[in-house]
Amino acid sequence: MGSEKREPIKNPRIWIILGILLAMITPWYFPDSFGEILVYGVPLWAVIIILSSLLLSAYLSYVLKYHWMLEEDEEEAEQKGAK
Amino acid sequence: MELAFSGWSGILILAMYGLIMLGVGVVTFLRNRHIHQSLDEYYLGGRGLGVMVLFFTFFATQYSGNTVVGYPPSAYRMGYEYLVSVPFFITIIMAYLLFAPRLYRLGKKYRLVTPAQWFEKRYKSKAVTILASLLMLYGLGNYLLEQLVAIGQGVSGLTGGTIPYQVGVVFFVIIMVIYGWLGGMRSVAYTDTMQGIALLFGVFMLLIGSIIYFGGLPTSADYMQAYSPEKLGVPDGPGVMNWFSLLVMIGIGAAVYPHAIQRIFAAKSERTLKRSFSRMAWMPFLTAGVVFIIGIIGINAYPGLTEGESEQLVGMMASAVASQNVIFYWAMVLLFGGVIAAIVSTADSVLLTFSSIISNDLYGSYINPDASEKKKLLVGKLVGLVAVGILILVAWFPPGTLYQIFVLKFELLVQIAPGLIIGLYWNRLHTKAVFAGMLVGTIIASSMTLFGLSYFGIANGLWGLLVNVGICVVGSLFMTVSVVEEKEAKQVIGM
Repeated sequence: MGSEKREPIKNPRIWIILGILLAMITPWYFPDSFGEILVYGVPLWAVIIILSSLLLSAYLSYVLKYHWMLEEDEEEAEQKGAK
Repeated sequence: MELAFSGWSGILILAMYGLIMLGVGVVTFLRNRHIHQSLDEYYLGGRGLGVMVLFFTFFATQYSGNTVVGYPPSAYRMGYEYLVSVPFFITIIMAYLLFAPRLYRLGKKYRLVTPAQWFEKRYKSKAVTILASLLMLYGLGNYLLEQLVAIGQGVSGLTGGTIPYQVGVVFFVIIMVIYGWLGGMRSVAYTDTMQGIALLFGVFMLLIGSIIYFGGLPTSADYMQAYSPEKLGVPDGPGVMNWFSLLVMIGIGAAVYPHAIQRIFAAKSERTLKRSFSRMAWMPFLTAGVVFIIGIIGINAYPGLTEGESEQLVGMMASAVASQNVIFYWAMVLLFGGVIAAIVSTADSVLLTFSSIISNDLYGSYINPDASEKKKLLVGKLVGLVAVGILILVAWFPPGTLYQIFVLKFELLVQIAPGLIIGLYWNRLHTKAVFAGMLVGTIIASSMTLFGLSYFGIANGLWGLLVNVGICVVGSLFMTVSVVEEKEAKQVIGM
């Protein structure tokens, strides 16, 4: 990753993807029949919402890990210096 | 609440939880004797919270006993439409991405202790800081009141009324104040960890017990298909609107809770903070998801409950599960003890933040800036104690009229968001526009709540917030910020 500073808010791609995921976790795009099809007792639309939510959590973890680097390098250098 | 397992075992478990909390306080005190001279040490744990402790203390600010006892009845009544309770906890983490990275950095740079102090640093305006502080104190006070009422009801329910409501409240408030005073943020965060683990364990046992005893989701779905197919159906137009408004409002609202913001400052390092958030992003499935399933199972287990009766759903299900065998019996006692402990853990975080705003911002910045940190701490602690005393009285003797003013929490707390977040990025944001936005947003949100108005299924707090943002942005575009002010703001933000 190098010493490059990264802040999530400055990266428009992140917010486009988060916008799409936000649209996916809102149940506006399902036909009514998705309420009748059951998967192990869970309506199909709810299954898709749950899968989309998992996707959102995964993407957030990814962004947190790789696209938020403001202090980490300096803090780690400090820590090493302190030891 | 009528519980089959209430009585002496409930008293035993509550006494045990109380003793553990006190023990944590005493150990923290003995190991950190120096913390009572410094605001940083007392209110932020010396900015040294590690991943696990930070994670559980964030967990305690978002999930309370209410999540366990109050969410299943909503799922019971609304069916799958209440599945929104899972993603709305995830959007909180999304909202943190908007401001936490920069706020952590600035918090470290300027050694910020409270969110109000950021307002002071950024706007250098007494009016803005005091208004923001008062909004936070008022919102936090009502939040605390709600927790105190819940503690009282929980204790009297779990002990089958052997311990009356009032005694329950006083018992836990005394314990909470003692361990809070002994160890500050460290005590609060360590007890949050213990309380969070107890709650998670209990909820999972209730889920397992419910599935064994009442049948799982397919059984419940068969019942809904036959008797209430709308609970399985795709939400309709207003349902979708309400769903989306919850995602936005809970996302932003819970992220800017003052006690949640303060935890950003308490992180040991950026890496620690990121890891805690990353774990939080997965927790909704293990907490809100699990209690949601419990509520759905309840539809089949106890069909046809009225709204009032359905509020007792978790108690009924836990009682049935507890009567299965001795393991489930104690697991349910632990769960209900854990619910009360979780409410205490939310209350202690709120109280600590309440005191810190008094110590650091109102008393420490304006009333007596020359006071020693020790004195500022003492004033914060004492004012916090007086506030709790008043709130206990309000809880016992609820006023007949004007009760609504004790309901306003979220509507007020969310109004600090524009000044807090936009101010992190926009140098030209005008101080007067921030003040006007915050004030007008508060008036709109609270009067809508007081007069019971509602439009398009969008929450009152969100209406206030929209107007607030509008005033901040439009006002700043029309009013000129002097070159000096803009330069100063740029320097403060410094990125």
